[in-house]
Amino acid sequence: MGKYVGIFWSALAVGAAVVAFAPIFVAAQSAPGAKAAARTTAKAETNIDTTREANSQNWVVPRMADGHPDFSGYWNSLTFTPLERPAKFGNREFLTAEEMKERFRSGLRGSYEPGAQGSEDRYGGELFNPDSVDYDATTYGLSPWQNGIKPNPRTSLVVDPPDGRIPPLTAEAKARLDVGVRPGGTFPYVVDDHHGGAVVHADNARDLGLNTSCLTQSGGPPLIPAEYNSGLFIAQNPAYVLIETETGSEFRIIPLDGRPHVSSDIHQWHGDSRGHWEGDTLVVETTNLRPDHTYRNGDPRTQKITEYFKRVSVDTIEYKFMVDDPSTWTKPWSAIIPMSASTGPLFEYDCSENNNDAVNILAGARAFEKKAAEGKPISQK
Amino acid sequence: MTPDTVHPRGLMIGFVIVAGAVFMLMTGGRSTGQAPAPSAVKVPTPGQFPPYRAPRTADGTPDLNGIWQAFVTADIDVQDHDAQAGPRPDMMGVYGAWPGGQGVVEGGEIPYKPEALAKKKENTEKRMVVNITSDPHRHDTGDPELKCYMPGVPRANYMPFPFQIIQTPHVIMMAYEYARALRTIYMENDKTIPQEPPADSWMGWSRGHFEGDTLVVDSKGFVPYSWFDRAGDYHSDALHVVERYTHASPYHIMYEATIEDPNVFTRPWKMSFPLYRRMEKNIQLVDFNCTEFVLDLLYGQYSKKVDK
Repeated sequence: MGKYVGIFWSALAVGAAVVAFAPIFVAAQSAPGAKAAARTTAKAETNIDTTREANSQNWVVPRMADGHPDFSGYWNSLTFTPLERPAKFGNREFLTAEEMKERFRSGLRGSYEPGAQGSEDRYGGELFNPDSVDYDATTYGLSPWQNGIKPNPRTSLVVDPPDGRIPPLTAEAKARLDVGVRPGGTFPYVVDDHHGGAVVHADNARDLGLNTSCLTQSGGPPLIPAEYNSGLFIAQNPAYVLIETETGSEFRIIPLDGRPHVSSDIHQWHGDSRGHWEGDTLVVETTNLRPDHTYRNGDPRTQKITEYFKRVSVDTIEYKFMVDDPSTWTKPWSAIIPMSASTGPLFEYDCSENNNDAVNILAGARAFEKKAAEGKPISQK
Repeated sequence: MTPDTVHPRGLMIGFVIVAGAVFMLMTGGRSTGQAPAPSAVKVPTPGQFPPYRAPRTADGTPDLNGIWQAFVTADIDVQDHDAQAGPRPDMMGVYGAWPGGQGVVEGGEIPYKPEALAKKKENTEKRMVVNITSDPHRHDTGDPELKCYMPGVPRANYMPFPFQIIQTPHVIMMAYEYARALRTIYMENDKTIPQEPPADSWMGWSRGHFEGDTLVVDSKGFVPYSWFDRAGDYHSDALHVVERYTHASPYHIMYEATIEDPNVFTRPWKMSFPLYRRMEKNIQLVDFNCTEFVLDLLYGQYSKKVDK
């Protein structure tokens, strides 16, 4: 345990060093035109010269033999930043230095319980719910700071529209979604019993949803971080980019040769991705999603997700995605998730091969029914 | 036609030849005009490839990139076998029937220890007995393929599905259409990756290096649950596989695997077969996420019975 404590404090120290640069970073990002000037001034004023800062000054984009930027390696998309901007920030895009520091510290505290991470909306505005701590995620190397997470100055991942909120649903989408949300969430089988408890609706494995039944667990698009195991591995050559996501060991193979998409009669769990270069940015367009696995229950016929990968520092990919789905949202919207450099390897994630959850949840539901039929109901509270 | 006259048709042929040569130059010689003169073309003899040197990647290693597929029936039985009716012929007819085929095992027989051969026979008998529990006994019976579990090595390479090799200087990725299994072959030049398997896995822990034109992959760290075929051929967690991938032509890789497992076999044994390059225009892997198709098989015994 001593080892972990040591790492913890050094992680905080690194965090603090980065936080010291926060106002500069924020200023630079708020006024892109003045970026270079702001950075130079900042360096003179702060007079802090950590190794990390020195490295990033000398850093150049690593390139493949074909001249394109090299994205290969291990990355992590974990974040403490909510997808949508909390109302209290209004139109403010960036946190103050103090706010960023607090969010990072709060996020790190929450790291000790995977379910509490990065979910400002989940716990009523609190990043960290101390009552929910079940076990110490650091024991398993699952906490964000063990995976290279860094402070993010943004108030929300959504950057467009400017209010940081996902645009309103179209009337068509409202009607479609009112019919009932398809199973696909994390725990669709846990149903509120309206008496402070929960009942399990689990007639068969399909009721458990895509995640618990091991049909798909990650892979995107977009590459949205989960509470843990948000590691990515990117392999790249001149013709293809392969992106492996840790949870479920799922992968996308992205051809870069300009070929057309497959026919609209083919539907894929992670869609059909095509990549091309726009300068040093890798642009990946995905269509052909499955009707039961679109992003945020969008329309598989119209949903197109465009991802932009850009190396911005020695240890960061700026990952931006744009969701264009005119039959679901009134306008396209975009979000930015910084991906931090991490270390490998990714372990094989055998999901269906080892799915105890499905057996136990279904067997539990049958046992409950049997008891209930015998007139001996069990509280599942 | 006399030597001092030039027939207009000869002129035309000459023009076509010159134009063809220019076109070949412009296209890098990859046009149909590349075919050798008719007298040089021979009908290939199976098992024999003319000498061939593989193209190289930018870092100078043999280029194995492509989508490949085996066309043997080893997934049914790696040893010689007759055609057979599949399960439920009353319902499945020929949809469910399995083709016969010649085995891929060098010498024909897998050198089982006597007690291991008995286990293999039990596997064959219980290949469709599926009893999924919330503990490792789920693996006691039933072919993992039937359950859409990851195919393991070398079985992944002779499933009747394509797989894609994506080669980079540090890793070679092998992405399988079947059950979306994925292998990472860590090349020798990546010093950040442990030599020894950090954990057991279905697809193993693989280190690779090149010997001339051959990619040599050394894999261990396997879980003891995967099988080699539907015939119940199996291994333990002591499995050690050394594979050799050698370009035999622009369209073929000769594949060889040496299987070692002192818990199960009396000596190491080999299998070999060619992999064929899939040549369809715009070929790509499509999903075969078969877990979707086995939910009732796996969890039917725990599901609510619905009156139809």
